Amino acid sequence: MSIVTLPFFLFVAGLLVVYYLVPKKIRGPVLLIASYVFYWLNSHWLLLVLLGTSLAVYGFGLLIQREHDRYRRELGEHPEWTREEKKARKDRSRKRARRIMVLGILVSAAVLLFLKYFNFFGENLNGLLSLFGLDNPIPKLNLLLPLGISFYTLQAIAYLADVYRAKIQADKNPLKFLLFMSFFPQIIQGPIPRHSQLADQLYEGHAFDYRQVCFGAQMMLWGLIKKLIIAERLAVPVQALYAADSGYTGPIVFFGALLYGFWIYADFSGGMDIARGVAQMLGVNLVKNFNQPYYSTSIEDFWRRWHITMGTWMKDYIFYPLSLSRAFTNLSRKSRKILGQYAGKRLPAFLAMFIVYFLVGFWHGADWKYIVYGVWNGCFIMSGILLENVYRKGRELCRIPENSASWRLFRMFRTLVIVSLGRFFSGADSLQTALAMFKNTVTHWKDITFLTNGTLLKLGLTTSNWIILALFLALLFYVDFRHEKGTSFREVFARQPLVFRWGIYIAAVLAILIFGLYGPEYNAAAFIYQQF
Amino acid sequence: MIMREQLLKLLKEIRPDVDFENEKKLIDNGVLDSFDIISTVQEMNDAFGVEIDVEDLEPANFNTIEAMMELIEKLQSEI
Repeated sequence: MSIVTLPFFLFVAGLLVVYYLVPKKIRGPVLLIASYVFYWLNSHWLLLVLLGTSLAVYGFGLLIQREHDRYRRELGEHPEWTREEKKARKDRSRKRARRIMVLGILVSAAVLLFLKYFNFFGENLNGLLSLFGLDNPIPKLNLLLPLGISFYTLQAIAYLADVYRAKIQADKNPLKFLLFMSFFPQIIQGPIPRHSQLADQLYEGHAFDYRQVCFGAQMMLWGLIKKLIIAERLAVPVQALYAADSGYTGPIVFFGALLYGFWIYADFSGGMDIARGVAQMLGVNLVKNFNQPYYSTSIEDFWRRWHITMGTWMKDYIFYPLSLSRAFTNLSRKSRKILGQYAGKRLPAFLAMFIVYFLVGFWHGADWKYIVYGVWNGCFIMSGILLENVYRKGRELCRIPENSASWRLFRMFRTLVIVSLGRFFSGADSLQTALAMFKNTVTHWKDITFLTNGTLLKLGLTTSNWIILALFLALLFYVDFRHEKGTSFREVFARQPLVFRWGIYIAAVLAILIFGLYGPEYNAAAFIYQQF
Repeated sequence: MIMREQLLKLLKEIRPDVDFENEKKLIDNGVLDSFDIISTVQEMNDAFGVEIDVEDLEPANFNTIEAMMELIEKLQSEI
């Protein structure tokens, strides 16, 4: 059930009515039932995978908690223990808890790795084994992915780590935990929540709050504008320009990557707004996943504004644990001896960063192009950090103040180019196509006449559609600009007279109905991130 | 206090542009990024003989120089 279809709206409308009519105490279970109904409609029997994983993780959480509780209890029962004894027992308890956590993580990750990556590993292994004369011994399996598995698996890992780190207590309520893992607006494509932020507010019943329902509905409308007017429209020329046999060369190929970036932004953030809007109407606050990414001044900044919850997940559960692990601190000591203080100190953090971006790429999909996409981003971040001093000296030499608007604009432009080039990898159908696109961009690179010689009209969009696209993209960037400055449009609207407010809402709905694309292209350009 | 001066010197070497004496939200305001934090932890471990763990990486422990000192003292007392 795509979240821009009428059945979905009817589902949400029906749920809202039921939710606010039943007693507060059972509103949580109502959400759980709704989430599982939604999941069934999308994934049918694969629901059992979600259910099984959720119950397993719930169980592992309780086991880790039991270990923590046991140690604390024994500590209380034995005040006579020496400091050494206490430390020894604490270490033993932590080792046991850690083993349980690792097992729980492996179980969740194994399901994801098998269903999503088996064929990728199989193909590559077959390729290697063919060097030894073996003819494709590993079969290709017809595996289906349960909806949102890439997202909820990360959620589960974060939960187990947080329980182990005693950041949270294990969830003792199985229904609450099941809802946390399956809440339907976010299961499709995130954001990736933390238990401490979401679980309680999800399960406790919320009183009807007109302002929240209004604001949520407005957010949904904005998401629909982004998705149906902008994203669906952008899909047309993007698909034409990314086609493997398109034959386009020169700057138009880069233009395609630029459009791809806008497409995925409108689609992904639009979907996120619909999810957050639905959640808000239910009184639930989902974390932001985008923070005006086109205003980024560096690749590092970009990944703090794009898919934010993925970035924070990687930081808390991969980057920090790796960088501070015994193996990496030993590596740091050794590399300081060999490479000197400056490089030696940074090497482990860089290695951890490289692993993070490798994983980010790999998470996106079972294809080498995604891995290159991740590593591409990682390399620019690492070079940015390594060359920090160089950039600063260069800027000082040219007497450019750090806070000048022109310097900021230059950095934004530079980031846009690097990000767009990276979109060759994430958008092309294969690594080979992406590399060909790279090559095609630089041949005939002076040929910008495509903007005026009618080529744009051969990509599937009419002039009027290009105009509509341009206008709504301008609107999107204006809204982002105001958000960057801290304006909340919904607050502003709320202060306006009734006539104006309803004028805006009706205009938005009409715009979606008139300018939204619902044609055959619509199915082809299905929610990009939904396949995860 | 010796520890405070040592810590300040160490922090200034990592980020000479930051006012550690007065900044109260080093983490919450994103003044220190993840690389800075890793460098800080490494230097603190070396200078004060402690082992700062991932679990200690709470904003509350790193938002101010005073919080960092408290963390070091706490870890030193556990050794």
